Amino acid sequence: MGLSNLFRRWRALTHKKELDTELDAELQFHLERDVEQNIKSGMTPADARNEALKAFGGVDRSKEECRDARGVNLIENTLRDITYSVRVLLKSYAFTIVVVLTLALGIGANTAIFSFANGILLRPLPYPQSDRLAVIDETARRGEEFSPVSYPNFLDWREQNTVFDDVAVHFGTGRFALSGMGEPVEIRGSRISHSLFNVLRVSPQLGRTFTVQEDRPEQDAVVIIGHELWQKNFGGDPNVLGKQIVLSNRSRTIVGVMPRGFRFPEISELWVPLALTPQTFTRTDHGLTSIARMKDGVTIEQAQAEMHNVAARIEQQNPVTNEGRGVRVTSLHDNLAGDYREALLILLGVVGCVLLVACVNVANLMLARATARQKEFALRAALGASRWRIVRQLLIESLLLAVAGGALGFALSLWALHLLLNAIPIQLPFWMDFGIDLRVLAFTLGITLLTGLIFGAVPALHTSRVDLNDTLKEGGRGAIGFRGRSRSMLVVTEIALSLVLLVGAGLMIQSFLRLRQVNIGLEAKNVFTATVILPRAKYREPQQRITFFKQLVERVRNVPGVEAAGATGTLPLNGNNWGRSLTVEGYPVLSVGQAPSIQHTVVTPGYFRTMGIRLIDGRDFADADTFESLKVTVVDERLARHYWPNESAVGKRVRFGPPENNEPWHTIIGVVQAVRHERVQSDTDESVYLPHLQIPVPNLTLVARTTAEPQDITGAIRREVAQLDRDQPISEIATMEQVIAESIWQPRLYATLFAVFAGGALVLALIGIYGVMAFLVQMRTHEIGVRMALGATARDVFKLIVGRGMKLTVFGIVIGVAGAIALTRLMHSLLFNTSATDPFIFVAIALLLSVAAFLACYIPARRAAKVDPLTALRYE
Amino acid sequence: MTKQTADLFKQGTLELLILRLLNSGTLNGWDIMQRIQLASGEVLSVTPGALYPALHRLEARGLIAANWRQSENNRKAKFYALTAQGRKQLEAQRREWERFSGAVNLIMKDA
Repeated sequence: MGLSNLFRRWRALTHKKELDTELDAELQFHLERDVEQNIKSGMTPADARNEALKAFGGVDRSKEECRDARGVNLIENTLRDITYSVRVLLKSYAFTIVVVLTLALGIGANTAIFSFANGILLRPLPYPQSDRLAVIDETARRGEEFSPVSYPNFLDWREQNTVFDDVAVHFGTGRFALSGMGEPVEIRGSRISHSLFNVLRVSPQLGRTFTVQEDRPEQDAVVIIGHELWQKNFGGDPNVLGKQIVLSNRSRTIVGVMPRGFRFPEISELWVPLALTPQTFTRTDHGLTSIARMKDGVTIEQAQAEMHNVAARIEQQNPVTNEGRGVRVTSLHDNLAGDYREALLILLGVVGCVLLVACVNVANLMLARATARQKEFALRAALGASRWRIVRQLLIESLLLAVAGGALGFALSLWALHLLLNAIPIQLPFWMDFGIDLRVLAFTLGITLLTGLIFGAVPALHTSRVDLNDTLKEGGRGAIGFRGRSRSMLVVTEIALSLVLLVGAGLMIQSFLRLRQVNIGLEAKNVFTATVILPRAKYREPQQRITFFKQLVERVRNVPGVEAAGATGTLPLNGNNWGRSLTVEGYPVLSVGQAPSIQHTVVTPGYFRTMGIRLIDGRDFADADTFESLKVTVVDERLARHYWPNESAVGKRVRFGPPENNEPWHTIIGVVQAVRHERVQSDTDESVYLPHLQIPVPNLTLVARTTAEPQDITGAIRREVAQLDRDQPISEIATMEQVIAESIWQPRLYATLFAVFAGGALVLALIGIYGVMAFLVQMRTHEIGVRMALGATARDVFKLIVGRGMKLTVFGIVIGVAGAIALTRLMHSLLFNTSATDPFIFVAIALLLSVAAFLACYIPARRAAKVDPLTALRYE
Repeated sequence: MTKQTADLFKQGTLELLILRLLNSGTLNGWDIMQRIQLASGEVLSVTPGALYPALHRLEARGLIAANWRQSENNRKAKFYALTAQGRKQLEAQRREWERFSGAVNLIMKDA
């Protein structure tokens, strides 16, 4: 396009008035020449004028075509259509509000769920080139089980592999007591190998990372702190490096401050060296998490293949400890997000269905409106508007509605996301970032436009197909049969979609209720829990720890309102587990690779009674079970039944750890009810309990059964701890019921979201049915009047209308059931003790939907039955 | 004009005729219409509804240019003239047209 051409178009756009005047003048001149000519040939002036006009043809159409020739008419018309549409939509504001709100809810819910999924699944992790980061797990029993990593294996991997730039390990998230600076505070921190920051490629903002020497025992009195901790607890002091702080009673020198926002692995904000040796943490000790950075160009598959060979070599060299041990390499992001992926994808599907139902509803409304506006369109067509112009007008209206709905929906989504995140009772890992980014904006814009096209296309296409002559002749009642059919199809779609969603929600809720009814093996009501972590540096001697906890439990028992008290090393369902291999006397000795891993729980006397864990056989631990006396253990009923199905387990002996260690035998003194330690969902692990008096670990969770609200004794517990040790913090104060609820927050959240979305879809679908039936009654008032005049009773009419509505409903339900059977299988893994095709749920939901649909048809049917034939006929 | 001649009178043909007429001088819309009728011996005729959009299209494409001046009856009229680009276009289309009509003529004679 030449410059002059561009100029012409620009002028056409900006000097529209002028050009139109010119056009008028040009055509006027033509007409006048014709008139002159006609007069010359002998006509009267009036005849001459009429003849000239006749010869000219449609002046307005010619003008319109000339304007089209300017090439900017499209833009101009679109602008005019938009203004016109805005005016039309504002005039019918009730319709506009209903549509915009419906869309806003649909788009808002979708944007919120998408932002949530984006923060977990799509947004890259906050480390440089984070797609290069991988997690290495150990596998046991030839890949059947995954287990944490042992230190010597890690050292071998790091040395022998050729696929990673570097490999690091850490101990997960631990707790450190920061004391000597006022009130002791507990801080989340991690023990890491010195290579970790190199793997993550994150450098400290101040100072340095750990050296190889500092990653050794006795040389590790150093610490790196996070930016937020630096700001909060050290006032952002620029001279903080070299400062000594007391962490869990051990003095350490600050050597580095990490940049703002950095946390690792999940929420830790301080780091100390791992300082392990292959002697202190052997090949059979598994407890580390490994993370590695792949070299450029290396794929996960290549890394996996290489590490498979490395592991095979290690197994060959260490046949006893590493029998059956392999490795699994996964991308860090997949590893972290894996737990959420399936549920999030399903939720996206569910919320997408809700939007679809919303679209169908809006399409229905648009159709009804288009019908009411048929005369308007017919008139416009008769006045020269092309069909395309009318369709475009309708599409512009739809898009305007969609954009308004999208904008409002976006605002709603911010609020909904806030609600959603508040409903999560745990502190989410720092790498999950739910801020609005370009992806979210693009998603919202995309679904907004798509929505506008989906619900706008149906009425636009139909209107364009309507025969204008018929419409004008029949006074606006043309083409009802056709339109009635497509509206019916919309209703069927809605019913089918909501049935699928309701069945999904029903299954999720049923699953969640069953989860809540699971007998965990203890009585959670009125149990207070709080964790006490004694610093190893201060409580170096086992006897110190034993005395501390013995005194603490004794003091808590005397607190008013406390019925019973005890303490445990691992609170059930709290995410902390300690498994060791088990050897049973009289059974063949298995190697570490084959022996079962058994949940170990160290408890004080009185723990079982406090938690309501029933003693089935034998006795509880007693104060008399000390270092000097017989090594004892209490096992759970599953373990007892497994090894001694026909006799009492009491008096039998077991021992723990790798067989070659020859640890002492423990005599079983009691059998207790099985407790679900790991997950409410699974009861697979057998477990054993050991007395704290014989295994004096420094970390115990205090439990107390109260007569009133467990939270009420928090202050008293704090006082008792402070009286024993002024510098000792307590943490994780919660009731046992909270601990259980938190452990199943995901199923609860998903069930809630499912229910909300399915409920929304149901309401929309019912509005849809009601709307269609009411419309039908209105359109058929005349026919109903005739029927009644010919002898039909009110009952017949009622049956006619309800029958039609229910026919659609049943049709929708049949399709929906088929769809649900196909789709609910996808959510199989989210369900607990619930079949994805649970017939009870299917039947119940189908009934619920039928009853609701009946009610939605009832009102229009009643109205139809009350039609007065005389009025109806006169109405025409 | 019968329906048949109207059908033959395709947009491209009309544009070619306009270019051809303007090649011999500046004309206004009414003149062009008269000349098409006269020059074709009253066989071809064009309605204003077809002519003016065609003129505006040609103008938008830069093949003809317009200016307002006095017409023979002393009224202001919009006169069209061929641009350099229009002249080139006319040459090309004329050749195309001659080839086409020559071919048709050949067939008609043979038959």
